[in-house]
Amino acid sequence: MLEIINLKTQFPSPDGLVNAVDSADLQIEDNERLGLIGETGCGKTVLGMSIIRLLPPSTRIHGQIIYKGRDLLNLKEEEMRLLRGKEISMILQNPTTSLNPVLKIGDQIAEVIQLHKDCNRKEAKTKAVEILAAAMIPEAPKRADQYPHELSGGMKERVMIVMGLASQPSFVIADEPTKGLDSGTKAEIIRLIRDMTSGRSMLMITHDLAAAGEICDRIAVMYAGELLEMASAKTILHDPQHPYTQGFINSLPSRGLLPISGSSPSLIDPPHGCRFHPRCPWAMDICRREHPQIIKLEKGHFSRCFLCA
Amino acid sequence: MRIEYLAWRIFYSLLAFVISVTLSFVLLHAMPGDYLHVILPHLAEKNPLATELFREQFGLDKSLFEQYVLYVLNVLQGNWGYSIQYGLPVTEVILEKLSWTAVILLPATLLSIFIGVLIGSYSGWTSGSLGDSFIFKIMIFLGAVPSYWWAIFLILVLGFYLDLFPLGGYMSITALDEGMKLHDVLYHAALPIVALTLTTVPGVYYLMRNSMLMIVGQDYILAARSKGLSEIEILLRHALKNAMLPMITLFAMELAHVIMGSIFIETIFSWPGMGFLTFEALRVRDLPLLQGIFLMDTLIIILANIAADFSYPLIDPRAKVGEIG
Ligand SMILES: Nc1ncnc2c1ncn2[C@@H]1O[C@H](COP(=O)(O)OP(=O)(O)OP(=O)(O)O)[C@@H](O)[C@H]1O
Ligand SMILES: [Mg+2]
Repeated sequence: MLEIINLKTQFPSPDGLVNAVDSADLQIEDNERLGLIGETGCGKTVLGMSIIRLLPPSTRIHGQIIYKGRDLLNLKEEEMRLLRGKEISMILQNPTTSLNPVLKIGDQIAEVIQLHKDCNRKEAKTKAVEILAAAMIPEAPKRADQYPHELSGGMKERVMIVMGLASQPSFVIADEPTKGLDSGTKAEIIRLIRDMTSGRSMLMITHDLAAAGEICDRIAVMYAGELLEMASAKTILHDPQHPYTQGFINSLPSRGLLPISGSSPSLIDPPHGCRFHPRCPWAMDICRREHPQIIKLEKGHFSRCFLCA
Repeated sequence: MRIEYLAWRIFYSLLAFVISVTLSFVLLHAMPGDYLHVILPHLAEKNPLATELFREQFGLDKSLFEQYVLYVLNVLQGNWGYSIQYGLPVTEVILEKLSWTAVILLPATLLSIFIGVLIGSYSGWTSGSLGDSFIFKIMIFLGAVPSYWWAIFLILVLGFYLDLFPLGGYMSITALDEGMKLHDVLYHAALPIVALTLTTVPGVYYLMRNSMLMIVGQDYILAARSKGLSEIEILLRHALKNAMLPMITLFAMELAHVIMGSIFIETIFSWPGMGFLTFEALRVRDLPLLQGIFLMDTLIIILANIAADFSYPLIDPRAKVGEIG
């Protein structure tokens, strides 16, 4: 379905090139939901934005992103635009700022339907209310007639999800759909995403390993622009091999909230050798000198660590 | 709408009104010279009795405070006084000139708003592009040129050398026989309208461009892109309405300024509007008329502000009357 080959995404900045995504390789199969986790600023959103190509014009993107046999990075902007929303859609990170404050919820959803589903405005609005109702949003017709500021955070997140899936795209990128929600709402949102994306491919970006575990088939772990480990969701949650993944899991509230010491490295001038070595409790000599390659541990389990070699 | 807010609003409006009336009264009366001395200096010098009679007739012999109280009482009763120069009620003189001012200022203001919003949003939307920097530079130039320069330039080139437009005035001499014709008036109004528009566009443009610049980077614009909308659809459906919000007060103020006319443009083009009237009244010290003009300007500005406040909620669903401003 989607294959990312050696993707590099860089932003020129006054201090030098920001390597937000560095040599990423990733496949997502048909009907597969892949979770992408990592701490803040490691490049998750940039990776997602690189796929749907919504980064500023000054961004440098190298590599290939093959979608249904075509390299998205080679498409003209107009060809790419025709895919956006129709085939590939994105649920943006922050629902409060991503909904247009002066347009009604129903109109914002109907807009996508009208654009991609070949129907008139009125039909699109009826359809919008239907899918709002299907997303278990109470009083859907009334909600459709409201403005974003009249909705709660959880409700806005639902609207974002509904909007992202309204045109039934085959590939969805969901950026932190469970962020900032209380646990009850979070559970509902997780269920909603699981139901609405079944039979589709999805890249779900999240900090929330538990949510990723419930929704995703596989999980990829990202650190300082690089992919460090990738395996089935079960393996990542219960048998992680990379010290960073282990640390990340131990920092979860359910596992004792043990934070990884140190802070995330600069993306302009990342550490030599393994990018995680300054914070790694097992760091060896070689970790300081050489940059580890990602290696296959067993079927479907990859890790970028000398310890695993 | 909260009653409390409304009460405050009315209170502040009244306060502004009273302060403005008082200030203009004091300042106008502090001006040296009076009508008689400006118009008939010889008579005034040779015949002290005439001066005395004139002062008595217009109540200028009373103390300033007395005059002020009388003026305010009269205004409250709807009597704005008589113009010395015209010998007519001030309101009548103003209304007559107002319609002439509207002929050039209303089209010029609407045009400036339209053009300013159009190129301002284009410029802000494509900021950094060649088109943007080109327009931006032109606007810096336009903004730096004063209105009277445009007036003189237009009269000289299009009126004098090319003889395409009249040099001034508001209708042709033939109107004496044939009566006033709309196309004739518009023909005379063309150059003043162009001069006014050229001077007003840059202000609207800058604000609109800035406002649009704020919108371009918003997440909901990104969200609109992720839906697959085209740039023009995003601009019209998502960006424009948001970018217009901060413009409402400017629009209200620009429209309020229509009432005041333009002293430079109307004087240069000999256009019988409010600007010209103000200038003339100032020149001959027609105090009642000046006072009336300032009174009306104050009223209009206050009303325009209130109108702007109350129209926000109509286009911004988040705003409620009384929660802003
Ligand atoms: N347009 C840009 N120009 C320059 N740098 C950028 C730009 N967009 C993102 N970055 C940088 O790229 C890095 C990765 O950002 P990204 O938004 O992908 O992080 P993230 O993993 O999504 O974090 P979070 O979990 O907080 O959303 C950050 O250091 C950020 O500052
Ligand atoms: Mg992010």
